[in-house]
Amino acid sequence: MFSRLLNSELAINNLVYLIVMNKNHNNLSVLYLLFIRMKYKKILPALGLLVYLFAGTGCSFSSKTDKIEEISIVNFEQLEPEFTKTDNVLYVVNFWATWCAPCVKELPDFMAVNSEFSNSDHFRMILVSLDDSDKLDGPVKKFIQEKNLKGVDLYLLDDIKRMNEWIPAVDSSWSGSIPATLFIRNGKSLKFVPNAIEKDELRKIILELKI
Amino acid sequence: MKTLVKYLVTLIITSFAITPAFAQGYKVGDEATDFKLKNIDDKIVSLGDFKDAKGFIVIFTCNHCPYAVAYEDRIIALDKKYKTLGYPVIAINPNDPEVQPQDSFELMKQRAKSKGFTYPYLIDEGQKIYPQYGAQKTPHVYILKKDGKKNIVKYIGAIDNNYKNATDADQKYVESALDALLKGREPEVKSTVAIGCTIKTR
Repeated sequence: MFSRLLNSELAINNLVYLIVMNKNHNNLSVLYLLFIRMKYKKILPALGLLVYLFAGTGCSFSSKTDKIEEISIVNFEQLEPEFTKTDNVLYVVNFWATWCAPCVKELPDFMAVNSEFSNSDHFRMILVSLDDSDKLDGPVKKFIQEKNLKGVDLYLLDDIKRMNEWIPAVDSSWSGSIPATLFIRNGKSLKFVPNAIEKDELRKIILELKI
Repeated sequence: MKTLVKYLVTLIITSFAITPAFAQGYKVGDEATDFKLKNIDDKIVSLGDFKDAKGFIVIFTCNHCPYAVAYEDRIIALDKKYKTLGYPVIAINPNDPEVQPQDSFELMKQRAKSKGFTYPYLIDEGQKIYPQYGAQKTPHVYILKKDGKKNIVKYIGAIDNNYKNATDADQKYVESALDALLKGREPEVKSTVAIGCTIKTR
């Protein structure tokens, strides 16, 4: 009996530790847990479990289970500095949209290739959605979650009235068809592909351009 | 390091050198080819059929692309306004229906009927015409002006600068170009670019 209680105690200690580790910004819940730990030591395991379950259903643990990668709405002046930094990083900037079938088709390949190179400090993938900004909270975020678009920088470029200005700024040969991918380092465009790219081809291009 | 720089420079030069090979199609001032393409009423349409036209608004467009759909009402309005002035709209679907079933000939007929297209809606069977024009996406507009028997490209690009909201479009590229041509002038803006759907090929 005693040993079983001890095990529960240990489990609760671990739980408190886990919560502290995972949710260091949610200090209140940790304090609350410590408080009830002191006051209701006897029913602690049950209480601890309740708090855990409650936290699990609420927002406290959602970051662990269904975190959506951040995506911000930008205009071109805000987007351009993100891939023209002088930091010896090869930026692979892909322009896509949820309604664009070939874009949707190639994105899993882009994610796979990204995971091959993402350990490098000299590589960064940026996915620029050209979806309607009204659709960000609905279809776009849903798509990002479903397709597990992680480990990349996500933006929604909302600058529709000035397409005729920023499309040529990305590449002078670009007619505006998507998918399109820019490979750029230190503000110097190294390659621009105004078509879909297969996985092997994408890997080959990156290897050819990488320092 | 030196070899690396050399390698990169070669790579950059090569990539620039390759670009023109892909950038086929017409530039403003070129003569555009006529064609014989099947219309949604099963009749064959050619530019040569329009004896009284001063020119044409050739638009590569389709059923499935959200940008093309967003412009349907504006394309109808363009045709209604400029057909009487000598510039009818000729719409061409450049997509391969095998790749994009929504753009099949049957569904083109349905879409034209339900939207009440006032203009020919042709299918580029075999995808022979769009590459000659150099269309890269839908919608993609080519304004042609008759010069004797020739059709000269006067404008290439987008319809206006707001696909989402027609009333908020403050640069109506196609209308401005046509208005200039009707006054016997050259369009001020001769080409524009805009986001669109890639042309679907096998």
